[in-house]
Amino acid sequence: MAVVSRGPRRVVGGVARYAALALATVLFLIPFYLLVRNAFMTTAEIVSPEWNWAPARWSLTNLQELFADPAVPMARSVLNSVIVSVLQTAGVLVVSAMAGYGLARIPFRWSRLVFGFVTATLLIPASVTFVPSFVLVSTLGWVSSLQGLIVPGLFQALATFLFRQFYLNFPKEIEEAAFLDGLGYWGTFWRVVVPNSLGFGAAIGTITFIGAWNAFLWPLVIAQDSSAWTVQIALSTFLTAQTINLPELFAAALVAILPMLLMFLFLQRWIVEGVERTGIAGD
Amino acid sequence: MSRAAAAGQLTSAARPPLGRRLRGRGDATLWFWVFVGPFFLGLLIFIYVPILWSIYLSFFEARNTVSPAPDQFVGLGNYRDMLGDPAFVDSLRTFAVFAAFIVPVTFALSLATAVLVARTAVAQAFFRSVFFLPTACSYVVAALIWKMSIFSGVPSGAANSVLALFGAETIPWLSVTNPPWYWLVIISARLWLQVGFYMILFIAGLQRINPTLYEAAAIDGAVGWAAFRSITLPLLRPTSVAVLLLLLINAFQAFDEFFNILSTFAGYPPYARPPLVYLFYTALGQGQDFGHGGAGAVILTGVIALVALAFGRLFRTAD
Amino acid sequence: MSSTSPLSTALTRRRLLTLSGGLAAAGALAACGGNTGREGATATSAGTGTGTGGSGPTLNSWYHQYGEKGTQQALEKFAADYKDAQVKVNWKPGDYDNTVVATLQTDGAPDIFEYGNGPTIDMIKSGQVTDVTDLFGDTKADFNKALIDRVTYQGKIWAIPQVLDAQLLIYRKSLLEKAGVQPPKSMDELVAAATKLTSGKVKGLFLGNDGGAGLMGGPMLRSAGLDLLTADGKIGFDDPKAAAALGALQKMYADKVLLLGAPNDWFAPDALTQGLAAMQFTGLWNLPDISKAIGDDFGVLPWPAMSGGKDNVTIGAYGACVTAKGKNVEAAKKFVKWLWIDQTDKQIEWATAYGFHVPARNSVADKADKLKSGQAAEAVKLIKEDGFAQSHMLWSPKCQTAFNDAMSRIVKDGAAPAAELAKVKTVVEAELKRLAS
Repeated sequence: MAVVSRGPRRVVGGVARYAALALATVLFLIPFYLLVRNAFMTTAEIVSPEWNWAPARWSLTNLQELFADPAVPMARSVLNSVIVSVLQTAGVLVVSAMAGYGLARIPFRWSRLVFGFVTATLLIPASVTFVPSFVLVSTLGWVSSLQGLIVPGLFQALATFLFRQFYLNFPKEIEEAAFLDGLGYWGTFWRVVVPNSLGFGAAIGTITFIGAWNAFLWPLVIAQDSSAWTVQIALSTFLTAQTINLPELFAAALVAILPMLLMFLFLQRWIVEGVERTGIAGD
Repeated sequence: MSRAAAAGQLTSAARPPLGRRLRGRGDATLWFWVFVGPFFLGLLIFIYVPILWSIYLSFFEARNTVSPAPDQFVGLGNYRDMLGDPAFVDSLRTFAVFAAFIVPVTFALSLATAVLVARTAVAQAFFRSVFFLPTACSYVVAALIWKMSIFSGVPSGAANSVLALFGAETIPWLSVTNPPWYWLVIISARLWLQVGFYMILFIAGLQRINPTLYEAAAIDGAVGWAAFRSITLPLLRPTSVAVLLLLLINAFQAFDEFFNILSTFAGYPPYARPPLVYLFYTALGQGQDFGHGGAGAVILTGVIALVALAFGRLFRTAD
Repeated sequence: MSSTSPLSTALTRRRLLTLSGGLAAAGALAACGGNTGREGATATSAGTGTGTGGSGPTLNSWYHQYGEKGTQQALEKFAADYKDAQVKVNWKPGDYDNTVVATLQTDGAPDIFEYGNGPTIDMIKSGQVTDVTDLFGDTKADFNKALIDRVTYQGKIWAIPQVLDAQLLIYRKSLLEKAGVQPPKSMDELVAAATKLTSGKVKGLFLGNDGGAGLMGGPMLRSAGLDLLTADGKIGFDDPKAAAALGALQKMYADKVLLLGAPNDWFAPDALTQGLAAMQFTGLWNLPDISKAIGDDFGVLPWPAMSGGKDNVTIGAYGACVTAKGKNVEAAKKFVKWLWIDQTDKQIEWATAYGFHVPARNSVADKADKLKSGQAAEAVKLIKEDGFAQSHMLWSPKCQTAFNDAMSRIVKDGAAPAAELAKVKTVVEAELKRLAS
């Protein structure tokens, strides 16, 4: 908003605004601070009734113990999470972009109906369909396999919904020009439309990646062999221990969340732009 | 030649061979399925089959098995049971109240934050990041931080340390029902995780508003709150509607933060129990009652769909 | 799509689970708990270990993630010693119950798996597990009767108890002496003691961070001479004494003599060893940690009786179950018989080398060295005299949920016990009727 503050009332307003922002910022950052603080402290420091602002000694012990713990293959789990998240994100982008484009741009009599089918799934709570899903995937023989981890998550109605929104608002001139050049739907899509959708794709990709990274229940049941664990499962082993080892727990949580935070920080610009481009915030 | 005419020309002729159909714009129907097919097929197999299967199960007595024998058919029996189950109905009721509260609060906070951030010239990107960042955090980790560090019942918890500063007694936040502090824990966690996303939507909406409108209003003497009410809010309508709808759907599907914060070794307490948590314990874990679980899920979906429809009717936004 | 995004798709619901997972699993009795140590755990491959012994069929056995160090390696060692089959040990973290039961419906089901207090009644009725009665022979009488009854249905036994876990009252001798309080022998004495011992930052009694709502329902009923279900499967709490018993618990909560904010819940000894509470209802498995922390400054007691009732010690056990639809049912049955009935040395090791538990066979329990002296021996004696199974075969998860809800309302909200129990009665009667048909 380019409204320039004028006059004393506006200045006070300005100060109040910054004060409010500052306070909100502090409140919002506290959880991250706590996570980092606890991840580097000892148990005694965490549970002490005296508040410790920072660990007495910043050392990597907790992290080292975490990765050295032979009962939990943390490093391998991180690797698995990376593989699964990357592949699933790539898959979702391809499949949903194509579907979104088709729904938005290719005239088909039942296009709206198909779209209705897609969006209907957004309303349906899935925690109860979990077991039938599992039995289905198991029948396919995909237990403890990469396919079992990746494929069921490739079909995300939300991604398709958003891509469709985006392509509905896409400038038609580009496609018209491509058509005049003799390209069909396929050519137009891959040679002209996609290169112009990279920003939006990055936005959807980031959100999908985060979702894939944070997935827990599905990988838990599918990845029955510990060599197939993802980082969230590894985290759970600390959470479900009878006595909770707080430092290692927070260290594991930090490892589980840090890649997402970093990725988010770098890519959030795209997400913000992407949201604007869907027109979901009004045209 | 216009695209429509070209397409018309091709389809009205006798059907050309596939190769010909795939070249150029060609057969739109075929291309539609080339593009949408993979997604739709996957959706059918991995989402619709399990959903339909669950609905199928909801008409049977299906315990510990997802393939009940035909003689286990109970028709609407499970539905009757669920609607007559005080715990389930209670969960729906509690949730209606929760939604009635959380939706306006999240809405207001997201809007307020958006307004604050959007008008900031200095370090706007930084502030925006701060509020948006929690969206990257998983519910698991957030629940962990809330339950074990901020609102833990011991004196070393962050909240209790703040209380100690003021000389107040330690509160076992998640162990008492009177007063119901657990709502504070859950709602603050939820707000932290969600406000950022809706804020982004509002910022996008705010940035569409032409600044000259404000200048014109200022000349007439309308500034501050008056300008907000007469310019900002009306022009934010499309965004507000989208946000409200999303918030509503989300409120009824609340699960993660509740499950992660409130469940214990003994299961889940009877208070603040969302329908999805109750269904989880019915159908999964030790319950394994897929008949009732499926029926409950269908009922819940029905409620959500009704609310969404009523909402759509009320606000009539063009897609 | 992240489910933190408001438009959560159906699929993202799957990302849930956590804390609750393992905690909510396995009913009220969390498995042997207590050991924090991940420090310097012996190096072994996590997850699946293959028995190096034996030819014959390959059997998959599933165990949940135990808290104690060395348990996984021990199970793998036991499996390796078995020569008639290749037994693989699968170590499952997180929500074990869910994972196991979901997998039982597929081809990937394990041949052998453990389950808290044996299989659920619905697992038995839907034919998911095999009966193992014929494996016992004469040894049946040697097993702890309460445990065997717990896994018996219609005269058949459906699991072999692996090792006995007990929950009892542990008190800090020094704190009681300082306050001039005798170890309580009756409920009235307990309440009085808890009140007297509550001073300053110390609370008299710790029953869990929920004030005992999740844990103490059964024990209180037994103190009054009642129970959740009677031995012959009828409602056991349909009696005014039940309301009185739960009322006593309610009063302790209201009088603020219960600790509500312990760093770990009841299954860890922290509240007791850190001096936050003078008495704690916790598991036998914690005895070594307690000794390490406070030496012999503690004593063990059963949960005391109310007038006309009985002292009680809550016991339970993970039971070894054999999948009915497995590919090698006979071989699996042979293995569980070998390990959990015949191999008494291994049973002693399993029970006492990793935390404190009691072998499920009475004669074996008598032989275990570590259980022969000190408070451990006292505990074993109490188990024999006052041991009550934590729940009943017919006490379905739905009954448990209804009962937990009622307990929560009674203890935390101060609701009238009689009215709440009446609601539970309705649910239990319906369930019993369903199970009888």
